[in-house]
Amino acid sequence: MVRFFRSGNLASRVFDRQLFSSRPGAAVRFLVLPLSLPLLLVRFLSCLVGSCGGCVENGQSVAGFLPWSGGSTALVWRGLDLVVYRPIWLTYSCNEECDSHALPPKAKKFDSFFKQLYSIPLASSNEYICKDFFLYMECHQFGLFATSTAQSNDSTATEGAIHGVPSIEKITFYLVRLEDGVILDEKAFCNDFINLAHSIGAYLYEDLLCIVSLRYQIIHILQIRDSGNLVEVRRIGAFCQEDDELFLHSHVQTGYGGSFLPGIKQRLLSYIFRKTWNEVPDQTLRVQHLKKKFYFHFQDYVDLIIWKVQFLDRRHLFIKFGSVDGGVSRSTDQNLAFFAVYNMETTDIVSLYQNSSEELYSLFEQFYDHFHANPQDSSRGKFISSHSNDVHALDQLRTIKNKASSSSQFVKKMMVSLPYTCQSQSPSPYFDLSLFRYDEKLISAIDRHRHCTEHPIKFISVRPPNVVKFKIKPGLDSGASDSRAKRISSFLFHPSFPLALSIQQTYMQPTVINIHFRR
Amino acid sequence: MGSPLGGWPSYNPHNFSQLVPADPSAQPSNVTPATYIATHRTDPPPNQVITTEPRNILLRHFYQKSEEKLRPKRAAPDNLAPENNNKQPRGTVADVGSQSNARS
Repeated sequence: MVRFFRSGNLASRVFDRQLFSSRPGAAVRFLVLPLSLPLLLVRFLSCLVGSCGGCVENGQSVAGFLPWSGGSTALVWRGLDLVVYRPIWLTYSCNEECDSHALPPKAKKFDSFFKQLYSIPLASSNEYICKDFFLYMECHQFGLFATSTAQSNDSTATEGAIHGVPSIEKITFYLVRLEDGVILDEKAFCNDFINLAHSIGAYLYEDLLCIVSLRYQIIHILQIRDSGNLVEVRRIGAFCQEDDELFLHSHVQTGYGGSFLPGIKQRLLSYIFRKTWNEVPDQTLRVQHLKKKFYFHFQDYVDLIIWKVQFLDRRHLFIKFGSVDGGVSRSTDQNLAFFAVYNMETTDIVSLYQNSSEELYSLFEQFYDHFHANPQDSSRGKFISSHSNDVHALDQLRTIKNKASSSSQFVKKMMVSLPYTCQSQSPSPYFDLSLFRYDEKLISAIDRHRHCTEHPIKFISVRPPNVVKFKIKPGLDSGASDSRAKRISSFLFHPSFPLALSIQQTYMQPTVINIHFRR
Repeated sequence: MGSPLGGWPSYNPHNFSQLVPADPSAQPSNVTPATYIATHRTDPPPNQVITTEPRNILLRHFYQKSEEKLRPKRAAPDNLAPENNNKQPRGTVADVGSQSNARS
């Protein structure tokens, strides 16, 4: 597959397209973008929105933005309300040549770029809206939001709760129809803990939603109906099959001293047992092998807890198990962790890997796209550039692998990104690694807070000539900023328009929002 | 028209009226290229229906690798020392591996 075209002539490129095939799904974008960008010389301009730190006209401050949903709306938190905006294009007229003209003063206003559609109250007085939790269901244009009360660190041991996991009095998920802002359904979890940061604790696949209750170690599978109702269809944790609970209560004699292991844990242990059993064919050596590999570590296996879950398809879950102390924090420490593929219908664990497994790494390298494959989410999934669909990214990954001092440490570091966090990667073509090269520590498709730099972030063209195509300067446009203050920036790119936002937060200082667009 | 392109449909047949063969002395070859004729029936089975595998390739790999791990390995035979002049009846291909393990 030829990655570059011989000439910049549009007609010849169209003819070439008949002969050379591009990546499936990216054909249109691939044709149009490389044409428009080199020819029109993308120039990103940043303009400060409100020098009073991102204040919008009412004097209320913008707390945050959420990823574009379907490309048509931007979502903003304002206190306890959710405000939905539609991006509009800045229009102005000038008497002289417009290109050299400076932007008019109204370019500094948020309203020139975004038009408010509606505002709905989500959180009540003692709750706050989780600013970085948002999942979008493309087919019906539903958005899932979450509010929670304050986290209490004293986790009183209640029945079924894991020690060491904090508790939140109430977490509520709201399903909102983004067209008009109607709240269709809500689901509350009380005295529970769900990891809401960056939507880690939930995963949306077609119309199925899974929510991981870390405190009670339950995976809730909910279905989003066309009417907008959230219906719980499965609860995996203590019991796996629907009639497990009934079976156990009717067959277990009262007065039995011990308690049963949770269903999912039992499945895990039985898989490890069968695998260890089959490793040694010799009968006499088998028991010894079991003792060493299984019984010796039995308590460690029992103490594993579910950290994170994703769907691989409608029937299979990919579950990360780990130790209790690593479960709540998002640190990238290299503790022992296991990945299991669980079939929800047969309730079997299909396979289990340790986080240092080379076999799992080779699947990660070849089939990473299938970890975030979502057949319904066509506008997003097809355009995410990764090392499995892009030869430049694969080269980069292999370079890092060859330079790594320890192979198992490298594999563990890569496995930290699994299970995939739902809708965490931006499908914007500016992050396409076959078009641009950029410093991934400063900016990347994955929505994450990063330390801000003084220098603008350069996007370099991958095709020869390798020139800087454009730069994004996340900081303040004017004046010297206090370099001692720690600044964190995050970026939001529109999935298809050349429009981006950079949000910069400094401790004890107002938030600065820049709008970057192509002139 | 006699052009090597044959009588393919085109918007305007006169577009190719100016076409001049590169080598004027070359005659269009009358030799037809050899075709392959199968010696067996190439018809598909009568009731064959081709469908897409519902499991994606990642899941197929997970299942395949786990089946390899969970398949019970053949145990070595109890009789390790062959009794009659090292000759043992030849078993299936799978048995050969375990028998050679037993002998060594």
